[in-house]
Amino acid sequence: MGEAIVITSGKGGVGKTTSTANLGTALALQGKKVCLIDTDIGLRNLDVILGLENRIIYDLIDVLEGRCKIHQALVKDKRFEDKLFLLPAAQTADKNDVNPEQMKELIEGMKADYDFIIIDCPAGIEQGYKNAVAGADRAIVITTPEISAVRDADRIIGLLELEENLEAPKLIINRIRPHLMEAGDALDVNEITTHLSIDLLGIVPDDERVISSSNKGEPVVMDPSNPAALGYRNIARRLLGESVPLMTMDKPKPGMFGKLKSIFSSK
Amino acid sequence: MKAQVTGFLKNIVNIKGTNKGLLIQLNDMASYTEILDELKKKVSDPALEGDAEVQIQLAKRHYSTGQLEEIKKVIHEHSKMKVISTKCDVVTVEECNRMIAERQSETYVGIVRSGQVVKAKGDLVVIGDVNQNGRIEAGGNVYVLGRLKGFAHAGASGNKEAVIAASWLEATHLKIADELETMTDELDSLSEQPEMECAYLHTSGKIIIDRLQELRFLRPQISTFKGGS
Repeated sequence: MGEAIVITSGKGGVGKTTSTANLGTALALQGKKVCLIDTDIGLRNLDVILGLENRIIYDLIDVLEGRCKIHQALVKDKRFEDKLFLLPAAQTADKNDVNPEQMKELIEGMKADYDFIIIDCPAGIEQGYKNAVAGADRAIVITTPEISAVRDADRIIGLLELEENLEAPKLIINRIRPHLMEAGDALDVNEITTHLSIDLLGIVPDDERVISSSNKGEPVVMDPSNPAALGYRNIARRLLGESVPLMTMDKPKPGMFGKLKSIFSSK
Repeated sequence: MKAQVTGFLKNIVNIKGTNKGLLIQLNDMASYTEILDELKKKVSDPALEGDAEVQIQLAKRHYSTGQLEEIKKVIHEHSKMKVISTKCDVVTVEECNRMIAERQSETYVGIVRSGQVVKAKGDLVVIGDVNQNGRIEAGGNVYVLGRLKGFAHAGASGNKEAVIAASWLEATHLKIADELETMTDELDSLSEQPEMECAYLHTSGKIIIDRLQELRFLRPQISTFKGGS
């Protein structure tokens, strides 16, 4: 019996979709059977980041409205044998065309076939959010070291904590820029976790190649030498129950900056 | 037999001079119309000159708000006197319940996050942080064992004596009774390390922040312990 995880943030543009794609891929790399569900109906992106745009035939709405069977709508990622699947969102409908009960039923029915079902939540706290959260067993909140993102994360955590069927939400801090944190120009990891007071699942450094790989349709996590990929791989291992120490990037030791620089400039 | 009047009060309406102005005592055994007639007669007396301030003593009788307005109207229309307060020895069950509720304390354990509102009729104790855009509201005092970084409202039902106290007072907004203060950088009362502080409504009508240790001098009535050893 698999586990359904919703990836949410409140604020837009903090990396929900990128994180969904990368965590899903990382779990598939670990040999788990994963299905990603894009619930951002009307503004779908997950398919693009995974490079599966051209293979979509049916979508979430088609499944919910009975125009096709689930297996017909699922897009298989050929890079991972039978490990990674995508249920794309509809582009020609909107968030009000789905209700939480439908989502719950759908996900409940899929759990037996997968180890992980990862639900990509749209930004906001309206219908789209409610649909995305309905079928989930646990939630991951994504934030960046910006006050606005942390404020919205706080709001979304408050809402998630009201959901009776959800485990306590966990936090991912995305797009960390070590030099800004060290200089005190960005919130540091400790400040964010104390403020939100939920468990930290992991941190992901900011890296340009996240963007370039997303544009190519190859999640960055496939490149094991990339620091952001390492962040996502660590998080995936923690989801599987391993205890992995937090990436060291915020220790202002002498000579550390040089080390970091060498890490980040390596290919 | 004439109705037995309580205490020393033999007249239906009694006017007395005190060092704080005039005192009008209304007999609580007389009928309401009798009181109004007698009051009109007494206050119209040209011997009562000047624009004295008067207090009305209602004794053990409940008057409705409309009746009180009528009594004040009689006084204001037939004399230059100004009613500054009314004092009544009885309360309705409704008022009594409200007073009990306001004296009680409720406790919330957890974080008040953005968009959440926690309300209490009486005092409110929050054990945990109140984050930005989180709101706590109490009819009585607000105490936060944690960081108060959001919006706190004390004395929500009008109690100007209510206070807001927190282990870390870094609120964006403070409100006591109807007075709202936005905690902008321009306020000189803000400290760098807002640890163990309290906010109260100063007699000037402004919200002032002080050290928590000052509370026992500022609002001694909050303490429910009498005496000491």
